[in-house]
Amino acid sequence: MNYILLALCMMVVTYGVRLLPSFITDKIKISPKAEKFLNLIPFTALGALIFPGVLSVDASRWYVGAVGALAAIVLSCIKRMPTAVTVIVSVLVTMLFFL
Amino acid sequence: MTRRKQFLFGMRRSVPVMFGFIPVAMAFAVLAGETGFSTSETILMSVFVFAGASQIMALELISLSSAFFEVVFATFIVNLRHFIMGTCIMRKIGKTNLGEKLICSFGVTDESFALTATMSERDCTPWFMYGVIVVTYGSWVGGTVIGALASNILPEQISNALGIALYALFISILVPGIRKNLRLILLVILTAIVNSILVWIGLKSSWAIIVSCIACALFGVWFVKDPEAQNSDTPLPKKEENV
Repeated sequence: MNYILLALCMMVVTYGVRLLPSFITDKIKISPKAEKFLNLIPFTALGALIFPGVLSVDASRWYVGAVGALAAIVLSCIKRMPTAVTVIVSVLVTMLFFL
Repeated sequence: MTRRKQFLFGMRRSVPVMFGFIPVAMAFAVLAGETGFSTSETILMSVFVFAGASQIMALELISLSSAFFEVVFATFIVNLRHFIMGTCIMRKIGKTNLGEKLICSFGVTDESFALTATMSERDCTPWFMYGVIVVTYGSWVGGTVIGALASNILPEQISNALGIALYALFISILVPGIRKNLRLILLVILTAIVNSILVWIGLKSSWAIIVSCIACALFGVWFVKDPEAQNSDTPLPKKEENV
């Protein structure tokens, strides 16, 4: 398989999917219900991106990702907690399982 | 804000993504080497495609001796979610000219979407996106170069634990946006459950994410009473100081 050609074809489908919305969103008017739907998408998408994927951080021990996620949830409940601190502490907590 | 300030703001907000991207990109590069990619092929893959999940999936498919077309098609399916995310981002950015469309769309990733999800429309501008792209694309390609050139230097404990980084990033973006709205919290939990069930019954996880996030957002239109108070177009007061 030609990997450069493969990368180029993957670029076409990836960038194509990313590009399409920018040419559509200008054209259509959106009803309040549709707007509410689109405003909810980020939250539901994040929920789906996190779970259950987070449980496979370690392929054989689901609780490794669960503990790391719990650390991140607790920290991000604290007001004004910088995102980078949440990420780094969560990584450090997870690392304990790999020592 | 001036363009320069918007650009720098975008860069600053993307710093946490950098912490997530570099290790994942390094992991990709190491895996690509093991799959039989040369150093230049590995780096060019990241330069051209800029999509972590599908690049790593492509490696898995190649090692399972899948056909060329199958890899490309799987890439397309995995990235379909960016159509929805791109719609959200471009709507938030508002009116754009062709050049802005072409560049901003290139920067649509799970992470840039997550960054803009809780931002106000006022702050989400093309120049903000340029700042995001410089940092995210730079760290993706940079991480791939580091990984391809110096594969086995990172201690195993660190590289294993870095898998949590992107999830921690998603959580730290999601939680402040929903914590004051119980029904929104329930909706997010419901989405996680629906997504898990779909994966459990055998749907590919990329499809499960698309189906569950659309279905639950539709349900949320009826279920979540007052998204105006919490939705992404309302500036969240604490958010900017967060990053």
